[in-house]
Amino acid sequence: MLRKILFRNSTNFQFIFATIGALVGLTALCLSFQLMLDVRSFHSGEDELFGPNSVVIQKKVTKFSTLGMNSTDFTEEDIQALQNKTFITDVAPFQSADFQVAISEVKGDGLPPFYADMFFQSIPDRFMDIEVDWEWNENSEYIPIVLPKDFIMIINYGIAQSQGFNQISEELLMAARLNIHLKGETKKEIMMGRVVGFSQKISSILVPQSFLDYANAKYGSGNKVSPSRVFITIKDDSYGELEDLMEEMNLDIAKSAIDVVKIKTIIGVIIGIFGIAALLITLLSLMGFVQYSQLVLSKASYEIQTLLRIGYSVKMIVKTFILQMAIIFGAITLAAISVMLITKIAFVDTWLDKNGIHLEESSILPTIGLALLCFILFILSNYLNVRKTVRQLGKT
Amino acid sequence: MTIEFKDVLPIPLADYSHEPDSVWKSEFTLNFPSKILLNASSGKGKSTFINLLYGLRKDYQGEVILDGTLISTLNLDQWVDLRRQRLSVIFQDLQLFPELTVWQNLNLKNELTQHQTEEKMNEMLETLGIADKKEQSCKTLSLGQQQRVAIIRSLLQPFELLLMDEPFSHLDEKNASIALELICEETNKNQAGFILSSLGSRHGFNYDQELKL
Repeated sequence: MLRKILFRNSTNFQFIFATIGALVGLTALCLSFQLMLDVRSFHSGEDELFGPNSVVIQKKVTKFSTLGMNSTDFTEEDIQALQNKTFITDVAPFQSADFQVAISEVKGDGLPPFYADMFFQSIPDRFMDIEVDWEWNENSEYIPIVLPKDFIMIINYGIAQSQGFNQISEELLMAARLNIHLKGETKKEIMMGRVVGFSQKISSILVPQSFLDYANAKYGSGNKVSPSRVFITIKDDSYGELEDLMEEMNLDIAKSAIDVVKIKTIIGVIIGIFGIAALLITLLSLMGFVQYSQLVLSKASYEIQTLLRIGYSVKMIVKTFILQMAIIFGAITLAAISVMLITKIAFVDTWLDKNGIHLEESSILPTIGLALLCFILFILSNYLNVRKTVRQLGKT
Repeated sequence: MTIEFKDVLPIPLADYSHEPDSVWKSEFTLNFPSKILLNASSGKGKSTFINLLYGLRKDYQGEVILDGTLISTLNLDQWVDLRRQRLSVIFQDLQLFPELTVWQNLNLKNELTQHQTEEKMNEMLETLGIADKKEQSCKTLSLGQQQRVAIIRSLLQPFELLLMDEPFSHLDEKNASIALELICEETNKNQAGFILSSLGSRHGFNYDQELKL
């Protein structure tokens, strides 16, 4: 009966308008939030394009460095300065071999005879962009080596053709053993090595850090070598800061690495804008609903006043009102979640799939949580508004 | 219930001169249960007096003390409790819900208080001669019929004091005395009192006390 009195004057038009607004707003918010979650899982996946934001930086080689007037080494102060940047989350200098290295083929393993001077570097394991067996100790049968992907391209499509070698497949190279000639100031040794993988990202010849530590101690001159290349991990969406840093320290970064960071920044910004727009729509529609309830209240002001005069308490009136709003908005929330799921499964996922983007399904629970939070926020804001209005009506 | 008045004067009436025996600007105490007539011509502040006691008007100077409490210090929730348990009222403008039927109007009150049985409500409608209007919406009734609905509604709750603002203004003398008889019966049952404002007619009743404005 109370409900009938309070809502008697609310017209269907206002109600439908507010409902559609709230439904659209909440659905857009849920959808953009869900997409953000999906893309975030995409971010953190081991995908080629969206791996961790790690890039190798080095100082640009200039005329002066060629003349020996300008070092491309990173000093300790440089490293410290990098570590102090807030957008950089991890810094790791490349470690270089402090001895001479050369490789040659092992007869009978299928490689043509060759002998080449080389160099070794190592990076902390956490920066490795490929999964390989990267364990080494003194009892290991061979030293695992990772080559840059470009390296085998140069051999097969450059050197092999011009020098008349046979081309070598990745599989063959990985199957063959290599003689590793280590030459320090006083000692020499030949050890066994094997290529275990190829890296897209790191244009260096990598060996496990444990090996380099061991070999530097044994063959090295003992001089401390300043690193000339540093691995850094930066936060998502910090392309701008990276660009500033490059300018400031005169850095060189592989273009493809920058592109990845750039794409991630752009995607982050686009989703951010979409999310903000959805949030605005939701807030507007919620305001629309608060306004609707305000309208219902003001149309029922005589009824509310009279109810308070014949002994109905503020609490009873507010409770009746809010209960009705909770039913309406509960239905809207459920509908928004359903529409969001249908849109996601039937349209967005299909579209992404067609375009070759495979997202890892992330849980919908956080989105449902967000919708519930909106529901609670809505009920709370309405409750406060209704209670205030009813109290004001009671005072006149 | 005891109500003390100390130099009470509604601000809109401040410019008028008042008789020495007027309730305005004087000090007196009303003790209930007693049945009181408030007799005055138009414009002297009868409705103001009733509404002031019911907590709807606060634009006055002086003090009104109800059982030791200054009524100006009561908050809305306390007034609502008073109106549900101790004070009942018949407004001059009735304040019914025009869209609701007679029965719904009465039920709205009785559901809240659970004070009367359905039989008793039917009996009251019968007594006041509007039993056949039970299912009609209030806006279709004549003012006299609506007045009788408002009278019955005021009796559907416990009270110590019933305030009535010209409750019989649209009733003939015969119907008025039937209604007053019903009111007296319920007032006595509640061991309560009332204040009845009137434009001069005493409705043939013997009041315990008479107030002038």
